[in-house]
Amino acid sequence: MSALPFEHRLTIPVAASIVGIAVSWLVQTPYGLLVPAVSLFLLVSDRAIPLRLLFGASAIGLAIALTLVLTETTANTAASTWSAFFVLVPCLGAIAVSAPRNKSGLSDTDESGVERQAEQTLHKSERYLRQMIDAVPVSIWCAAPDGTPIYRNKRHADATGAILTDMVTDEGYASPLQAMAHPDDFEAAEKVRFRAFTSGTSYVVRYRQIRDDGSYRWTESRAEPLRDEAGTILRWYGVSIDIHDMVVAQEALRDRERELSQLVDMVPVHIRRLTPGGETIFLNKRLVDFIGMDLSELSKRGATGLTEAVKTLIHPDDVSDVQAIIRHSLAAGEPYATKYRLRRADGAFRWVEGRGAPLRDQSGAIVQWYGISIDIHDEVVAQDAVKQSERRFQQMIDAVPVHILSFSAEGEPTYINKRYRDYLGLSIPHYPTLREQQRAIIHPDDFDAMYCTLAKSFQTGEPFLLRYRRRGKDGLYRWTEGRAEPLRDQDGTIVQWYAVSLDIDDEVHAQAALRQSERSLRQLVETLPAMIYCATPDGEPTYRSRQLRDFLGFNVDERHDVEGSRLGGTLDFVVHPDELAAVKRRYAHSLSTGEPYALRHRLRRADGVFRWVETRAAPMRDADGNIVQWNGICLDIEDEVRAQDQLRLAQETLARASQAASLAELSASIAHEVNQPLAAVIFNSNACQRWLKSEPPNLERAQVTVDRIIRDANSAADVVSRIRALFRQSIESRGVAEIKDVVAEARELMAQEAARRSLRLHVQIDDAIPPLEVDRVQVQQVLVNLLRNGMEAMAAHGSGKDLEIRVRHPDDFVRIEVRDHGPGLDPSEKIFEPFVTTKANGMGMGLAICRSIVESHGGRLWVEKNEPRGAVFLFTLPTAAKAAG
Amino acid sequence: MSERDDIVFIVDDDERIREALIELLASHGMHALAFKSAGDYFAADKPDRPACLVLDVQLPDINGLDLQGRIAAGNHPPIVFITGYGDIPSSVRAIKHGAVDFLTKPVSDADLMRAIQAALALSKAQRAERAELDILWQRYRALTPRERDVLPLVVSGLLNKQAAAELQISEVTLQVHRRNVMQKMEAASLADLVRIAERLGIEVTHSRRTGGN
Repeated sequence: MSALPFEHRLTIPVAASIVGIAVSWLVQTPYGLLVPAVSLFLLVSDRAIPLRLLFGASAIGLAIALTLVLTETTANTAASTWSAFFVLVPCLGAIAVSAPRNKSGLSDTDESGVERQAEQTLHKSERYLRQMIDAVPVSIWCAAPDGTPIYRNKRHADATGAILTDMVTDEGYASPLQAMAHPDDFEAAEKVRFRAFTSGTSYVVRYRQIRDDGSYRWTESRAEPLRDEAGTILRWYGVSIDIHDMVVAQEALRDRERELSQLVDMVPVHIRRLTPGGETIFLNKRLVDFIGMDLSELSKRGATGLTEAVKTLIHPDDVSDVQAIIRHSLAAGEPYATKYRLRRADGAFRWVEGRGAPLRDQSGAIVQWYGISIDIHDEVVAQDAVKQSERRFQQMIDAVPVHILSFSAEGEPTYINKRYRDYLGLSIPHYPTLREQQRAIIHPDDFDAMYCTLAKSFQTGEPFLLRYRRRGKDGLYRWTEGRAEPLRDQDGTIVQWYAVSLDIDDEVHAQAALRQSERSLRQLVETLPAMIYCATPDGEPTYRSRQLRDFLGFNVDERHDVEGSRLGGTLDFVVHPDELAAVKRRYAHSLSTGEPYALRHRLRRADGVFRWVETRAAPMRDADGNIVQWNGICLDIEDEVRAQDQLRLAQETLARASQAASLAELSASIAHEVNQPLAAVIFNSNACQRWLKSEPPNLERAQVTVDRIIRDANSAADVVSRIRALFRQSIESRGVAEIKDVVAEARELMAQEAARRSLRLHVQIDDAIPPLEVDRVQVQQVLVNLLRNGMEAMAAHGSGKDLEIRVRHPDDFVRIEVRDHGPGLDPSEKIFEPFVTTKANGMGMGLAICRSIVESHGGRLWVEKNEPRGAVFLFTLPTAAKAAG
Repeated sequence: MSERDDIVFIVDDDERIREALIELLASHGMHALAFKSAGDYFAADKPDRPACLVLDVQLPDINGLDLQGRIAAGNHPPIVFITGYGDIPSSVRAIKHGAVDFLTKPVSDADLMRAIQAALALSKAQRAERAELDILWQRYRALTPRERDVLPLVVSGLLNKQAAAELQISEVTLQVHRRNVMQKMEAASLADLVRIAERLGIEVTHSRRTGGN
């Protein structure tokens, strides 16, 4: 049976069945149906046992059922025939199926010609079948139920060589697998096979099978048992397919896949996969770590869809743009690249560059989208910073109020800042060369010098600095200061020139105006008819006006023969010795306190003559109030002083002459005024006598002498009467006077003398002193006398510098005190007596006269001791009211 | 009036006095020149004649006494002081310093003229004396240096040989010099020469006794 091809196996039974059916029909007998029945049975004979069993059982069942039915319904011979038929069929069938099979596949007997024919057909089909079995590209084998190999196809034999043959001939091998399988795979494969064999189930096993050349190749073996109707396994049929290449490829693929997977997770980019619809289906490890969520979490949030994903993961400000771009890409199937901020697990946003590209299949349809994002945050931040700084820088360049330009190393302009451009109203390309450009804008008078200097700078590399006139687009020339410096690289080669130009026009004009003003001020000072000087805060002279220079005969820096400070030396030289100390003191005081200085003193003129000047100086202060300079003026007051001196002298003379302060003066006055004319009278008398006695008498001359006698005698008489009038108490000369005026006048009369003796007169007058009824001149006389006495007392002994006059009003009288710090004297009345004096040259009448004056006014004059030393002379005068009353 | 060659200088600040004095002196037939201050007196050219100076003590620029002190050094006319003040110390000082007289105004004619005469006489005598001395000096200057060396030795009383030894010259040479000296100095005798030497102020530095030294 198994030797025939399958088609043949079918053809005969079918044909036979048709014949049988025809017979049945024709003959009207069911026995013809036996043929198809048998064919059917034969067909199922090599089917699995359970099927056969089922078929058999059903056939029997049907037979019985029909029999019963038929016997029930009809009770005739046809019925019995049919029922007998139906019983017979299964019996025959059983016999047919249980017919033993023999190994050689050859039928046991060769009974009839039909059989022979059938056998031949069978052989044919067997051959056909064999060919097929050998041709198919699988190894086919067959084994006995115990596993013993029965058959293997050609391919199998080729592949494994003579192994099976060896196996077949050998006795007692456990399993063909043992011989064929790779030692590492044998155990597992054998287990499967054994299980299958024992359980009678089909199996699939993979293992490395040994080949003819000794190499191992992966093979998949499948086996199935062939069962009879009883279910007993008749044979095992198996195939072995060489899957080595596939396995190797698969392994390789798996390896690559693993690598790829690792790669995907290891590369420092975020990788994700999207469906063509934009749904996220994969996140690589890095991305998961970054966003802090894996795919499951993402989907839990409902954020796998494109919109949601974008919204969840991307910075709100970038969301709309990114969505738009990706959507557009998805729709168009074009790759995208965009930058956006991605939210990190900690909530911070980082700039990333996201790119996506589609994966297409062979037909060009998009299978998936692959997307990556690279952290470019630092880069972006840095770029931003650079851009910002660039912007700021540019802003600065455009904002600074200077013109900035740059030149190449050869001197061609490469950049002009906005301000300059606006000013010039042109840009670089306007003129072909620098020279022409400069010529257009620089003042013709300055151009040559400027361009020369600039060219030299470019050549030598020296910085350029120059002032020149330049005009802008308004056409007006303005003074400009241009500066340029080269930028050098490490080797010192000039890379670029950078230049600025500053508008200094206003400054230049201001300076010029200032200079002009300075000049006119200086001229003013020089031409003023006053002696002006300036000094440092320390007093060192720095400037003298022409008048002063001419007066002194030298300027500030001349006179190098003085040591020490110029100030000190100058003062020593120019100030009169008598006033020098006071001048120095006062000057020092002013310099240290900042008080204005004013003093009268004598100044040496260039010709050596001393002139009285009034010097006044005032400090000049800065904004903080610090003294920066002393400015002074010397006014020539010589004439004034002279006049004052003369006035005073005249006053003094008048006072003296009219009042005679002391008898010393009085007697001098008498002696002089009387004796002189008297002496002249005597001389003239004698001369007259001689003239008269001469031979002949000289009457002419005698007359002259007599005239003179008369004249001189009269003047002597005048003197006498004047002196007499001196002491006459003429009430008419008394008047109301304020004591402070009288004191002031007396003080002024004595001031010069006091200054000469380096004494100071202090006056202290109480308030509210009522007026006095006095002979003003006489009271002055008393004061002058007392003051002179005091001064002489102090000068002689050099003790102290102050003489004090005090005026008090203790009662009805006004009391005047003159205090000195001289040696003092024993207070007694003796000194007020006439001809009593302590002076070397003195007549001793002064105090006597004073007392008589005071007493004639109704007052009193006395002396007391001054503490700690000296004397105080006091006199009282009645007030006007008292005198009147 | 005889022609007088003397002159009176008057220094007084009072014009009346000056005027009167000149008048008085004129009445005596004397010449007078008046000045109102010491400065004027000094500044003026004064004729070289016997003169006297009538000087007021109270002068504007310089006290008369100080003036006396000033002019004491040179040859000056004798001074007659007249003054309005008559204090003793001043007068003593004036006389001590060589004033002829110290008179207080008003001055009597007689006193004044007497003083002036005395002063003029003194002036003459001084001038004569001075003139003589000038001659002597002239003669002395005519001496050679050697002769000048010889003179003091001779007037010292040294013997010729002593003097010669002193000068280390021969006695003969010395005698020659001696004779020349006598001749030039116009001394009649040794005694004369001695007197001349004295007048000239030549010192006696040697003595016969000690013989040279």
